[in-house]
Amino acid sequence: MDQQGAGGDVEVPAGLGLTAAEYEQLRPTVDAHHRYAVGEGQCSSLLAQRIHAPPAAVWAIVRRFDCPQVYKHFIRSCAVRPDPDAGDALRPGRLREVCVISGLPASTSTERLDHLDDAARVFGFSITGGEHRLRNYRSVTTVSELAGPGICTVVLESYAVDVPDGNTEDDTRLFADTVIRLNLQKLKSVAEASTSSSAPPPPSE
Amino acid sequence: MAEICCEEAKSTPATAVAAASVSATAAAAAAVAVASSALERRRRRLEMRRFRVAGDPEAPVAEDVRAAKRQRLARTLSSTCPDAGSGSGSDSDRPALPERLPRYGVTSVCGRRREMEDTVSVRPDFVPGTSKQHFFGVFDGHGCSHVATMCQNMMHEVVADEHRKADCSGEETAWKAVMERSFARLDEQAASWATSRSRDEPSCRCEQQKPLRCDHVGSTAVVAVVSPTHVVVANAGDSRAVLSRAGVPVPLSVDHKPDRPDELARIKAAGGRVIYWDGARVLGVLAMSRAIGDGYLKPFVSSEPEVTVTERTDDDECLILASDGLWDVVTNEMACEVVRACFHSNGPPAPAARANGAALRAAENGSAAAKGVSVEDSDKACSDAAMLLAKLALARRSADNVSVVVVDLRRGI
Repeated sequence: MDQQGAGGDVEVPAGLGLTAAEYEQLRPTVDAHHRYAVGEGQCSSLLAQRIHAPPAAVWAIVRRFDCPQVYKHFIRSCAVRPDPDAGDALRPGRLREVCVISGLPASTSTERLDHLDDAARVFGFSITGGEHRLRNYRSVTTVSELAGPGICTVVLESYAVDVPDGNTEDDTRLFADTVIRLNLQKLKSVAEASTSSSAPPPPSE
Repeated sequence: MAEICCEEAKSTPATAVAAASVSATAAAAAAVAVASSALERRRRRLEMRRFRVAGDPEAPVAEDVRAAKRQRLARTLSSTCPDAGSGSGSDSDRPALPERLPRYGVTSVCGRRREMEDTVSVRPDFVPGTSKQHFFGVFDGHGCSHVATMCQNMMHEVVADEHRKADCSGEETAWKAVMERSFARLDEQAASWATSRSRDEPSCRCEQQKPLRCDHVGSTAVVAVVSPTHVVVANAGDSRAVLSRAGVPVPLSVDHKPDRPDELARIKAAGGRVIYWDGARVLGVLAMSRAIGDGYLKPFVSSEPEVTVTERTDDDECLILASDGLWDVVTNEMACEVVRACFHSNGPPAPAARANGAALRAAENGSAAAKGVSVEDSDKACSDAAMLLAKLALARRSADNVSVVVVDLRRGI
């Protein structure tokens, strides 16, 4: 193992909030799903959230393309566009129309389901229209289990997006990261609350 | 005289009942019509209040109806018997007050937004055991309406409570403390709204989310307490209070925009950032730097109000409180000019007429030549002014809810 490590130190992205050991476990997932070919005038970012709930419970919430308001802030309503061929099935190509609450620099967002892999727990969507300033926004969310004592699930969410005219990469990343961080915190609350309410309380020491 | 008074009082219930049955659609239509008679004007004013209720599904309807009815009855008695305070016959109908109720007009319209999230609160004589202090508030909600509704229902009670505790005798520092504590209490109430909401309160969309998290809901708050000697204003957010003094606008509040230099410095010092994302926004998200609620943006978005205490003078004409749906498209100068024109019954206000033509032509006022302005005319002038300002904002394509309160501060009426 030491000889393998000699090839290079593990670099954990700044601000991710994960330890080097944790990041090492997640690296295959990051390499497979959270890398973007970002061109000029674009930026990308990766965020992580630890959740003390079984990965299956977290995934059941994340995969709801039809009901993102369960764990996302700022959503007033969401409607999946009817697709006569698909019926109720959620599969790549489905579109949803999201209405945003007041007071924010957006009012609507049209979003396309790009990827839904229940085995690998990978969810991806892109924004294809609406009234907002996030052009060519693509996002992937993964749900992974960390080995170790106790239940620990890590949700990774990444995105790539154009930098709007008049703003910097930092501006764009600040805005998008703020929204995603709030959503991931809510996902943590929702998942942990649903787990604690359904599971019997652990015996106290 | 007594018979006229009784006659007028008797007609009130029938009118109120008729008004209560007016549908929202009819009320909306009536709001556009220009009344030609005194009775029509009175009925229209009540319908406008109904319209305000209809436009805000979260509003407690019964309370508003009772308030409107009581308010109307009081004004009717006053206008019929100018010396009602000294008449023994009138005393049996209603306890005489040392001073008459304030004269004001209110308009609140949804405008081009999808939902109505503004609320307005008018509480005459709101401090128990003390008369002559009147509360006015405009609250512009965002994210949902429940914080603005909570402010509408509770802010005056909290201010009265803090005022009593402080034994406030009018000093500026005392009022500042009263308002700061009041806003802090409402802010705490907003944060705990999800867990402490009583069963009988009307639900809103946030109810559908479990567990309840309403950190992303907030409201501006611009509040005025008007006494015979002073106007106290407390403001958090980008609604605004403006005094008209001898035709000159005097701002009693300064908008809390994130790029206001001192607000920008405060936010940065707290570790936050302001970026321009459809205007200056805290973390790119919220377009104001102070508000009640918005827990997720603490400490960058503060609920601490800025307080001004202004001594009243004989030159004071009116006080205007309004949400940014008005101020974003109408200057302080123009707003004061519109109100002044309504007060002076000088025909259609010139700037409004130029901007919007006949649609905003004010109703002719038969008592234009009268030397003194009666209470009835003052109420009408205030209501007309509030209505005209709202129409002007909509005509200038304001993209927001518009709420306006106009208070007559002229003395000797």
